[in-house]
Amino acid sequence: MKNTYSWVLWLASSLLIILSTRNPFYLLILLINLFITGQQLAKRENHPLWALHNFRFLLTMLILSALINTLFTHTGRSVIFSLPENWLLIGGNITYESLVFGLINGFVIGGIYIAFNIINLALSIKQLTHLIPKAFRPIGMTATIALTFFPSIQQRAREIKEAQMIRGNPMKRISDWVPLFIPLLVTSLENAILLSASMTSRGFYRQQSESTMSDLPLISLILSAFMVFSGWILRMYDYPKLISILLYIAAATIIFLTLFLTGRRSQATQYHQEIWQKKDILASVLFIAAVLIWNLVKYYNLIPSLSYSPYPELPFPDIQPAYIFFLFVPLLPVLLQSDD
Amino acid sequence: MIKFENLSFSYPQTTEVVLNSVNFCIKPGTLTLVTGASGSGKSTLLRCINGLVPHFSGGTISGKISVFGSNPIEEGPEILATKVGFVFQEPEAQFVFDIVEDEIAFALENLGIPREEMHNRVNQVIERTHLADIRRKKINNISGGEKQKVAIASALVSMPQVLVLDEPTSQLDPSSAEEILDQVVSLKNQLGLTVILSEHRLERLLPYADSMIYLAPDKEVLAGTPQEILPIMQQVPPVVKIAYKFQISPLPLTVEDFPSKEIGRKYHLEQATPIKAPEQPQALIKIKNMNTKIGEKRILNNLSLELHQNEILTLLGENGSGKTTLLRSILGLLDSVGERLLFGENMHKRSLMEIIQHIAYLPQNPNDLLFADTVLDELKVTLGNHNLNRDDAELTQFLEQFNLGDKKNRYPRDLSVGERQRTALASITVHDPQIILLDEPTRGLDYHAKQALKEVFVRWRNVGKAILLVTHDVEFAALLADRVAILDDGSILFDGDPRIAFSQFQTFMTKTAQIFPQTNWITPGDVKFRPKRDV
Repeated sequence: MKNTYSWVLWLASSLLIILSTRNPFYLLILLINLFITGQQLAKRENHPLWALHNFRFLLTMLILSALINTLFTHTGRSVIFSLPENWLLIGGNITYESLVFGLINGFVIGGIYIAFNIINLALSIKQLTHLIPKAFRPIGMTATIALTFFPSIQQRAREIKEAQMIRGNPMKRISDWVPLFIPLLVTSLENAILLSASMTSRGFYRQQSESTMSDLPLISLILSAFMVFSGWILRMYDYPKLISILLYIAAATIIFLTLFLTGRRSQATQYHQEIWQKKDILASVLFIAAVLIWNLVKYYNLIPSLSYSPYPELPFPDIQPAYIFFLFVPLLPVLLQSDD
Repeated sequence: MIKFENLSFSYPQTTEVVLNSVNFCIKPGTLTLVTGASGSGKSTLLRCINGLVPHFSGGTISGKISVFGSNPIEEGPEILATKVGFVFQEPEAQFVFDIVEDEIAFALENLGIPREEMHNRVNQVIERTHLADIRRKKINNISGGEKQKVAIASALVSMPQVLVLDEPTSQLDPSSAEEILDQVVSLKNQLGLTVILSEHRLERLLPYADSMIYLAPDKEVLAGTPQEILPIMQQVPPVVKIAYKFQISPLPLTVEDFPSKEIGRKYHLEQATPIKAPEQPQALIKIKNMNTKIGEKRILNNLSLELHQNEILTLLGENGSGKTTLLRSILGLLDSVGERLLFGENMHKRSLMEIIQHIAYLPQNPNDLLFADTVLDELKVTLGNHNLNRDDAELTQFLEQFNLGDKKNRYPRDLSVGERQRTALASITVHDPQIILLDEPTRGLDYHAKQALKEVFVRWRNVGKAILLVTHDVEFAALLADRVAILDDGSILFDGDPRIAFSQFQTFMTKTAQIFPQTNWITPGDVKFRPKRDV
């Protein structure tokens, strides 16, 4: 699976499933599947420590979330121990229920993080920019650069920290970090100026400078914002709903047309063409089907086991085997790959 | 043709004129070398060619520039993008995308080239720059030399008539630098490109240069052939220095051009005095069987080395041979296995804070160290970290040895590259450590700045300090090394006399040794001769 849009559908369906359940068993299966998918991509992209880094993040999230929830939420019947009631905020019972609730939240946050990390592995920065409308090319490029800059800033931060430590800075107090931030900020600004010069000398801004309708996006934005605001005000004063809906539609149409016209004027072409292989089409259809069916079964509450609450007394989570196959949606890229 | 007529320029919010009434003409299909001291305006001059100056920089400009019929001052860099390809000094900072091929295609996307033609052009340029094996690789995972090749390919893909390169080899090791220069020359010949290139280390480029532009200290800009310009310059490469000694005319620019045989017939060449190693050297640092891994990769492999008092030990090696890793392992910044002794005591038991009281370390980028408001404050920060205190008069006196006494109240980042390097050196040595580890301290420095550094290092050596100098700059290293160690694939390949290292190892041979292989000369200073009577 290589198509950008297929991967975006993968992300949407995976996130939807992760966010719709609080059942710890389901979350555990989802996480295992995410790790398998990520590990396979990491192997291909030569990131031997990917799984370790993500596992470390997940563990940190579990610990933090569990700690915060147990300290600040004192509901639940299974008391582990108690803190004095007069201790501000944290005083009260520390319960197994709040611990489990915290852990579940940690699983969800970890799952979202890993899913985004997988997208980072699966798609190049260039593919990500394909998702941004042509009219927003400069903004898209800024986002791209931010993504490219991030690893280099991390690397620079490590080097500067080391340089300051060997100068005798212990890097323990907050004030000790000033010598890190100033060189980092200055270097980043210098690099940003150089990058901008490099882009300019390779013809970036060429199409913008030749544009004759540069005020169009601003005018459209003001006009559509005015329409949305008017629609909202009219709804507040009980005017017919239809007027507001028409105003919203008009605003959406103006935005769409502006994007279309501005995008058409952009001279820039794209080097890569999105290729839809059979597997990409198949995967995309399956992701869309999964999202639709999932929403349908949720609407009719066919999977009650999705919702789980440890309060007031820790229950054992229900499992509905008939719906478990949904949890394998994140694993679909691996399953399709194994056919090669 | 590129023509500058009475071009003057000054940056915004300053009265200083960077370029003053510059006049020159560059013929199509030639290679022009732009040279001058740090801060003399080389980059500014190059950026005028594609209109980055004044369109990107701002400032006041007067005079005329013509680049193959275009006027960069009127048209700007976006329009000149099809005529002038520009390669900047630091390849890492100029990349937009993370994949090699995507980066190369960027200029074509901006120019609105149809996809099919884009693919043809990218394939062509990849073939010409020999990047086929890495075209789908991530830029972060390729070497410095490969990154520079990608930058060149990205500039060439829009098929410009002019290729401008701003110090393209200053960040590279000698073999990668040679490879890049060979490639530039071959592209120039294949495509009929006009190449304009700035560089401090002239010895690398003179063989290829058709003409030279020299930005003199008095702001005068002189243009001509290398033979015309070199006699005017204050600092010249070793080959030219030696030619002056023998009063050879016309000036040879390369080792191959040098009339060594004729010189041998006319003169008795006297062997230079051997560099004496101390009889009973006192090892301040002793490394035995050191092994260091980064991730899964083994970088240092059973490495053993000693650093003695009153000694400048130069560590040479190709990129990736483990030089920086060795320095970081000595300090304990990287986990290593093996014996690590400081003054005979095990360093593994000491904290980093204890170690840095005795060992100073200058990383490759001096900017990493500088953050204070003044040069003087930089010193005070280090002293504060070590719980030491000295008054301003003492510190000013300390700065004098770095020629920074008059710069003590300046903002360090506003100083020149050489001055910044010396400020960083002062700030890591103000607490008077006995051992100094230096990682590529001459990177990006001009001859003057190197000379000032050399004086500091020699003074330290003479007062009993031990210096471990990691460098690619063999000409600089040969001027001051007491001993040379050559690192190869994580192990010491050679440890001994600099005269052997700089004359018998092909990769590290100095120009002097290349000209006179029958002598033990390694620097122009070694050259001593007397006329033969029978000639």
